[in-house]
Amino acid sequence: MNYIVLVKQVPDIKNIPEEAWDWEKGILKRGLLDNVCNDMDKQAIAFAVSMRQALQGQIVSLSMGPPFADAVLKYALSVGADTGVLLTDRKLGGADTAATAFPLAAAIRKIEKDIFKGDRNYIIISGMQSVDGDTAQVPPQVAEDLGVAHIAYATSFNIDKNNCLYIKRIIRGGTQIVSPVTYPCMITITNWTLHPNATFERTRWANSQRLLHWSAADVTKDESRIGLSGSRTTVFKVFSPKDVSSRKCIFESDLAKLAGLLKEAYLSKSKSTGQETAKVAYQLPAGKNPTYPGEVWVFAEQEDSVISQASYELLGKACELAAQVNAKVGAVLVGQNSLKQSRSLISYGADKVYIITGDRLNDFQPVPYSRVVCELLDKYKPQILLFSATPLGKELAPRVAYRAGSGLTADCTALDIFDYKKGSQDYTAILKQTRPALGGNIMASIITQNSRVQMSTVRPGVMQAIKPDESRTGEIIKYEPALTEADFALKIISSEEIPAASELKDAAIVVAGGGGCRTREGFLNCIPALADALGKLLGEEAMVGATRVAVERGFIDRSHQVGQTGQTVKPKLYVAVGISGAVQHVSGMQNSGIILAINKDPNASIFRTADFGIVGDFENLVPRLIKVLNS
Amino acid sequence: MDELKKIDVLFIGAGPASLAGAIKLKQLLNQRGINRSVVVIEKAEKIGQHHLSGAVFDAGVLDELLPGWQNNGEDKFIAKLLASRIIKDELYFLKGRSMAFRIPDFVIPANMHNKNAYAVSISELVNWLAEIAVKLGVEIYTGFAAKEIVVEDNRVRGVKLGDKGLDKERRPLSNYVPGEVIKAEVTVLGEGSAGLLAEGVVKQFKLDAKRNPQIYSMGVKEIIKLPEKNAFGANRVAHFLGFPFPSDVYGAGSIYSMRDNLVAVALVMALDWRYADLNPQRELQIFKSHSMIKNFLEGGEVVAYGAKTFPEGGYYSVPRLVADGVMIVGDAAGLTNAKKRKGLHYAIKSGIAAGEAVFQAIEKQDFSAQSLKKYHDILNESFVMKELYASRNYRQIFSRTGRLGYYLGAPLSFFQSWIPDRLSTKPDHECMQRIQLKRQSASGVDSVDRLTAVSLSGTTHREDEPSHVALCEASQSEICNKYFGCHPCTSFCPAEVYKFEDGKPILSPSNCLHCQTCRLKCPQQLIKWEVPEGGDGPRYKIM
Repeated sequence: MNYIVLVKQVPDIKNIPEEAWDWEKGILKRGLLDNVCNDMDKQAIAFAVSMRQALQGQIVSLSMGPPFADAVLKYALSVGADTGVLLTDRKLGGADTAATAFPLAAAIRKIEKDIFKGDRNYIIISGMQSVDGDTAQVPPQVAEDLGVAHIAYATSFNIDKNNCLYIKRIIRGGTQIVSPVTYPCMITITNWTLHPNATFERTRWANSQRLLHWSAADVTKDESRIGLSGSRTTVFKVFSPKDVSSRKCIFESDLAKLAGLLKEAYLSKSKSTGQETAKVAYQLPAGKNPTYPGEVWVFAEQEDSVISQASYELLGKACELAAQVNAKVGAVLVGQNSLKQSRSLISYGADKVYIITGDRLNDFQPVPYSRVVCELLDKYKPQILLFSATPLGKELAPRVAYRAGSGLTADCTALDIFDYKKGSQDYTAILKQTRPALGGNIMASIITQNSRVQMSTVRPGVMQAIKPDESRTGEIIKYEPALTEADFALKIISSEEIPAASELKDAAIVVAGGGGCRTREGFLNCIPALADALGKLLGEEAMVGATRVAVERGFIDRSHQVGQTGQTVKPKLYVAVGISGAVQHVSGMQNSGIILAINKDPNASIFRTADFGIVGDFENLVPRLIKVLNS
Repeated sequence: MDELKKIDVLFIGAGPASLAGAIKLKQLLNQRGINRSVVVIEKAEKIGQHHLSGAVFDAGVLDELLPGWQNNGEDKFIAKLLASRIIKDELYFLKGRSMAFRIPDFVIPANMHNKNAYAVSISELVNWLAEIAVKLGVEIYTGFAAKEIVVEDNRVRGVKLGDKGLDKERRPLSNYVPGEVIKAEVTVLGEGSAGLLAEGVVKQFKLDAKRNPQIYSMGVKEIIKLPEKNAFGANRVAHFLGFPFPSDVYGAGSIYSMRDNLVAVALVMALDWRYADLNPQRELQIFKSHSMIKNFLEGGEVVAYGAKTFPEGGYYSVPRLVADGVMIVGDAAGLTNAKKRKGLHYAIKSGIAAGEAVFQAIEKQDFSAQSLKKYHDILNESFVMKELYASRNYRQIFSRTGRLGYYLGAPLSFFQSWIPDRLSTKPDHECMQRIQLKRQSASGVDSVDRLTAVSLSGTTHREDEPSHVALCEASQSEICNKYFGCHPCTSFCPAEVYKFEDGKPILSPSNCLHCQTCRLKCPQQLIKWEVPEGGDGPRYKIM
């Protein structure tokens, strides 16, 4: 078995110097950032090296970038790859994911021909997503171009005595074991191991190796599919997500009053959810027609015959958008027995429900699903198609978009209809897609171009579903595609449901303790209890957090660490107990909704970042506060 | 594959001395068509990240290494360098928080003038030198920390690298890589100030017989971004004596213009200070609160921070620098001029000398101390040893003047060359006394607290790696508290690595800036500092 590992050189977003931001021009001066190998791609190389121990073969590392991106290929060589190929050409610059996937796929074909000598027994391995674009679109789109299946979010593999490969991957609600039926196939990797360390010896060897440099012309003759002209989306604005409001701390020593203030502040914050703000409704300018005609569609997901909440949110947004362009709302559903679900979709806003049926379509597989959704697109020609940015949506949408020759914007947090005019481009009533990028460090506004349909994946939990109206009526359209055995290139072996482990970053309330808790007993006696009390009072899940100091002193394990070297959290309420407020910690929680600080030092810097504060020793205050909250 | 670990000439540390040496050596080898492997290893993740200096640079030394370098106007670094020629050079004495007196030029000895030198960032200088070196065929590998010297038959054979991928209890993780042994015919140690391998070699081969122990200064530095029209201006350096230091602390502040309205603000102080609670980072904030300094830095924002030590023993502290199979260059050799506060051009010259000596050794196939001694011959003939000799007792006078400090030291220093013999010095860690400065906390809009400063250094260490600092016999640290009234390490570490809670030490090794002030200054010598995992440490960009 041979391997092609896709690696990408990205800016080091963990170390962005202040002077690299130019907010006036709305750009990030990339030249001022260090370049590193994308973390997930390091995971991918490690996966390939690990696989190769069992299934021997060559590992070719492939990257697309400017000449100095050689460094990531040298890294790949130093930790186990045999050969490095850099696709480098000015003409490839300025590409979006589609215009990146196309030349990469072409390069893979060339590797198959020139290096593997036509042997199609190989696996393409890639990191799940890159930290700069954050879209996770390129690997599935490369797979779509090559016409092969992909297995996303792999965490481990197993090879049986017949040399059969089994891949374990993450799905919503658990894990799944999948086996490729045909090769080549693509696997995308998520965090599964520690980054490999290179030996001096292998680093020196890697340094002496000649890398292959291929230009655009070496791999393809079709220049219309590369670079700016091959891109189907454009970023037209970049802005800072920072909420520059500086907090003024209100000190309240009366615990009962404090509890009251907290509850009030919390409830009012809860009313404004997500990043959607009320906007003036769009009006179609007189005498102009929308650039994209057709219906506004959503792809609805179902789990055990129940439509997901995220799909209802999508419908809610679709209704709002459709109203502004005088279009109908359609929902696409794949699978059997969907009559009940169709009724549900209609009551949540769909005017039409398109059901795609077929024997083998109950379980999601990327190749057949993207094929059938595309056939539907070709037939009915909607103007917009929205997917939820769920694990499934993030795998399916890129393939559908690529196959349909349309642009796709991932993980949108805002969608609007607007007119766009710049230079020779003049669009009416198109979709403005806004999303975070660079690890959340910037927000980007994007439009679709050169496409038949405008597609986006939407972050769950941001949009609002409408109130379901049972009395609504709608049309149900059935579609039964013709599929063959060859379309099902993956075998699903088993699925396992894992009860969702609460993630610190999803918690609505976080109570964190720091060095000021002094001892492990002090920490464990007070912090979880306070979290429980607040959670009960406010009716939400509350989790325990900790500073690096607390973790290193053994108060609690590292999975609870918040800060520069821990997790970044944005709960509605963050309580900092015995935390000094050093910038290394604050950078991990400063965007929380409401911050309460408890510290015995009145000059602690945490009070500069807090909305409410009490000065006093936590061992005295926390138990009393818990009593007040419980009453 | 073992062949890959056998090298002809190995340089430790990608600093100006090592890089100049590697460049010179490759120039000579290439000229004669001789092919030998010249490898430089550097513990930082990227070149320049662990480098910090002032720096006022006598660029003339580059004429020898890279003739005609000024004419390469297209090179971005050279253009930046040439644009930073120093035109205004001032020395001030600051008294109290608001008074300042300019010390006229004619009082200052000529060799301490800085005009026609260039203000340079050492991080950028080494990046530039590294590019040149690679083009000549030098191999440079970053992220590799040399942990031990390998000695066989009383001869240095190479180095052993540090392990990677150990957990806090030193157990191997899944990505464990044991430190490899790299063999070399000659190992050139360019580790910089307080280099551990150099110290080890000096001790093992008794190279410091009849020499003074090395003494050091440490500096804390901030890079500040000033508004467009600022009071300091461009092409200017200013040094400041006096405030905030009492007269018996040998130190000075400085502001150097860099480009793009950036200034380098630094406070350097000799490690023989007596005060148990002296906190260098806080002293820098106090320095910035002086009205003259405040005026210069009006509207500025601190964008970077760092700290480093710097050897100051001068001529009588430089040991013999060669032994069988090994040489020492640059700051690691103590080749710095305390009077002029300069060392960059000496480092480069020592590198050039080392390159020439190694080339000779390669031609003779003789890497013994006798053969490598050529390095000393070249240095002795050069401005390096001549200037060091000329200022040989300068620094030592100040350590003799006790409480009168520079009031006595300054006038006496004019006569330093009259002293016939070497003035001995005490090691820095023996100088601390039961006296405190008892500063008020430096507050004020412009002052930066220590932890925020640490975050501006970009320092990163894998948090579950074994701690590279250790407090041996931690119970002894109570003695410090009882005797000095405080724990000095909580003050003198510029990165707040050391803290005490209820008498127990709490270490934050991930804050470390690798300056090594701690092991040099700890009064009971309880602190052990080892080189951490390769790739870890500060991330200086324009220091």
